[in-house]
Amino acid sequence: MKGVSKLNGVLTLILALALWETTARAGLANPLLFPAMSRILTSFAALIGSGEIPAQILTSLRRAAAGYFLAAAVFIPLGVAMGLFDRVYRALAIVIEALRPIPPPVVIPVAMLFFGLDDAMKIFVIFFSCAWPILLNTIDGVRSVDRVLVDTARTFGLARVKTILHVVLPAAAPQIATGLRISLSITLILVVISEMVGSSDGIGYFILNAQRRLKIDQMYAGMIALALLGYILNQAFLFLSKRLLHGR
Amino acid sequence: MKRSVFNPTGLAVFAALLLAWQFVSRSSGDLQSYLPPPSRVFEALLQPQVARALWENLWQTLARFAGGYLIAAALAIAFGVALGYSRYAYSFSEVVIELLRPMPSVAIIPVAILCLGIGDAMVIAVTVYAAAWPILLNAIDGVRNIDPTLINTGRTFGLGRLRILRDVALPAAAPYIATGLRVSLPIALILVTTAEMVAGVNGLGYFILDEERALHPENMYAGIAVVALLGYALNRIFVAVEERALAWREGLRISEAA
Repeated sequence: MKGVSKLNGVLTLILALALWETTARAGLANPLLFPAMSRILTSFAALIGSGEIPAQILTSLRRAAAGYFLAAAVFIPLGVAMGLFDRVYRALAIVIEALRPIPPPVVIPVAMLFFGLDDAMKIFVIFFSCAWPILLNTIDGVRSVDRVLVDTARTFGLARVKTILHVVLPAAAPQIATGLRISLSITLILVVISEMVGSSDGIGYFILNAQRRLKIDQMYAGMIALALLGYILNQAFLFLSKRLLHGR
Repeated sequence: MKRSVFNPTGLAVFAALLLAWQFVSRSSGDLQSYLPPPSRVFEALLQPQVARALWENLWQTLARFAGGYLIAAALAIAFGVALGYSRYAYSFSEVVIELLRPMPSVAIIPVAILCLGIGDAMVIAVTVYAAAWPILLNAIDGVRNIDPTLINTGRTFGLGRLRILRDVALPAAAPYIATGLRVSLPIALILVTTAEMVAGVNGLGYFILDEERALHPENMYAGIAVVALLGYALNRIFVAVEERALAWREGLRISEAA
């Protein structure tokens, strides 16, 4: 069944690509909108070969990583504090409720005022948009840790910091990982948006600029690269979290 | 999560932050050009000209959001239920779904501009594309997780395929579909505002970016406050509708437990 299922899927894909190719070649589709698939792939290969797409991807990746890890470094500890201590939670609850409904892309103009079009602008936008999934999942994860586990550790004289590091964090890890995984896809979306709105490089800029210059084959090539990037990042995350959460 | 609604500490922290913002911003003329005090943002909200512009743009954004979200829901639920029910149908679309899914949905915006130009159709199209994914995948999952007894019972009673899909599979998968719809809600708003920023002539996303470029930061912050309120209101409405629509499930759970 599994093999048949894959075969059907691959056949559909091949059929769709062949249809795209023939309609484009026969001049049935507007070549300005849908250049032949073979042309897109040739241009994809050329852009990889020339180093253009790898360079743009690296630029985007650098920004994405900075914002993502910064958000993790700030919001996991904050989430642990909020999950453990009700006082901290209540103190920050209203500020969070007020900021959370803001759709992340509208933070871009604010970040542009503060940081111009620099990398810092994109990093801040990613940092902001990753905050909620990481924070809320960490709080939830920490809260659902078995109290008996924490009390036992304390009874055995484990210091508070050690209890957090060796008992609370590992027990909350799966849910923190969920937050990090949601944030990963948000990061990719926001790096692309912020590069479309205010940038002169990065893969988001590359795709939009290719469209504006009517280099449509390059636009599609950029999209293919972006899809590959998303796929690889997600797989890498799954691999790492399986390794790190082994036995849970 | 929900304790008592009244939270004096939280309100105090919130008020303290607003006050700090007010004083810090007042103290420096330089800072005011990108962080005007909240009092000035509030004044902007009350200014008739700004208020009218915000009101009009709010409706434009809301209409695009509603159009995109509802079309996405209708398409994704229909396809999701069918693909979840029939493994054969799913086998044809699986590879295409797996290939398209990892691409960040905003990358579709340039394609949409190319095909549809600049305007409502483009914004709605990208919103449909992005909002459809979570609903589609959750609907497929939901139908797959239905207890086979339910579907077999339907068959035994001689229900046709369409009626099984509509009267058995769809309601049984409803909680999953609701999850997909909830995830899609903020995504749809993100896509509408992004599309308005990248290639818009109106709407809140356009307004906010335009006011930033025109160096009217107080109007920009006023716009952000309005869009945040919109996001908040949409979420509240969703939760209320969901509770109503899925109320029968509580009864089901209780009867199952009994």
